[in-house]
Amino acid sequence: MSKDLVRIFFLPLFFLLIVFPVLALVFNLDMQGVKATMTDPFFWDSVKNTMITALFAALLAVIVAVGFGYYHLFRRDSLVYKIANLFNDFPIALPHTVAGLALLMAFGRKTCGFLGETGAAFTLAAVVIAMFFVSYSLAARALVSGVDQMEQEVVDVARTLGDTPGQVYFRIVLPVMGEALFSGFVLGFSRSLSEFAAVIMFGGNLPGSTQVLASYVFTKVEVGDLSMAVTASVFCVLLSLLIVFILSFRRMFYAES
Amino acid sequence: MLKAEKITKKFKRQTVLLDACIEVNSEIKALIGINGSGKSTFLKIIAGIVNPDQGSIMLNGADICHLPPEKRNLGYVPQHPALFRHLSIRENVLYGMRNGKGTIEAFERIVEMLDLKDVLDKKPRELSGGYKSRASLARALVPEPGILLMDEPLNGMDIVLREKLLPVFRSVLKELNIPVLYVTHDPKEAELLADSYAIIDNGTVISVNSSEQAFGMIRSSILKKFE
Repeated sequence: MSKDLVRIFFLPLFFLLIVFPVLALVFNLDMQGVKATMTDPFFWDSVKNTMITALFAALLAVIVAVGFGYYHLFRRDSLVYKIANLFNDFPIALPHTVAGLALLMAFGRKTCGFLGETGAAFTLAAVVIAMFFVSYSLAARALVSGVDQMEQEVVDVARTLGDTPGQVYFRIVLPVMGEALFSGFVLGFSRSLSEFAAVIMFGGNLPGSTQVLASYVFTKVEVGDLSMAVTASVFCVLLSLLIVFILSFRRMFYAES
Repeated sequence: MLKAEKITKKFKRQTVLLDACIEVNSEIKALIGINGSGKSTFLKIIAGIVNPDQGSIMLNGADICHLPPEKRNLGYVPQHPALFRHLSIRENVLYGMRNGKGTIEAFERIVEMLDLKDVLDKKPRELSGGYKSRASLARALVPEPGILLMDEPLNGMDIVLREKLLPVFRSVLKELNIPVLYVTHDPKEAELLADSYAIIDNGTVISVNSSEQAFGMIRSSILKKFE
């Protein structure tokens, strides 16, 4: 009975709401749109911007997550950990337009006007910060799940052999966190790739300058160039599938080794 | 010499240790207790891994109660070998030397005694359970600690291998003349290794004269729980 219920609800809803929209994009591809997009320098600029900013955002997310992992392992009773842990879920619950506005208030003209006319806003650095803001918690969660799998006895032994908590973390814990660090990086990278709201609020949508793939698609829809928007979207889908594939392949590799 | 006095530890409302005292001189002392008796917690408190609610711990005349584990000058062999899996056995055994603990002479001597020469360049995953336990012991011994704390290091190993390893461990520990506190739930294992015995029951430590006496007291403690 329960098996039938799963079949009745899961399969139709999954195919209708997840698979069908992706297929709808692919079926709406047309050669004219493909040609126009592939020869559009702003499209390639947005691809380049997306890859560079997502890469830096993911790296930054992993670096900060490494710090959080230390607190998770050794300083769980500290106020810093409790606040950081609370904020880990914050970017997920917060509307990303609000996140973008918060960043604008923090690093825009009002507070960082000395950096330029717009403060740090509407630059590629702003895009990186916006992407980091929304992707950091995923990297932190990935690292923490790896740290939680570490045998506590290994840490205890290293301490009795003379290591301080920091030494244990960098000499013993992190070297075996390859999978967690990689997962954190890929999750952070993929979340950064898909971010739109925070990026457009804080980084802007300047073609050839701060425009990323997500905002390129939005612009094309806004100006009514649907076939180019569809082509860019399919490009995004392929990129996302590649990331999912890399992640699964890596997991398989770790499971086997 | 180790002297732990009036160690009390509560986890939330449960009292795990109540005024527990133990003294270990130049001997191998077995602390025998059933599962959940607080023996591992007691060991972790001595090692500095868990903080006691009250009590004092002296090692060779120095109060170590408020020192972090890295400053206590003691060796710890946990239940599982807990070898550092990204390091070779050589690097594992030499690990204490990174922090200035131990000497190459001690390393060579202990490796020889525990018959680890042929596996030094292997990774922990390539070793059998017996060799992993030997390597774990060697790693704790090379820094030449003031006392060695062993928390059922052969737990989960089959009886044949255990009975083969215990005399090896005993002869090594005796030759190095390091005081040892060995925690176990098995009086027979204690008999094969230890010079003196104590039991831990309901968070309190009681010294006993022989492993038979320990066995009798533990058996009556178990029976009492089922009454």
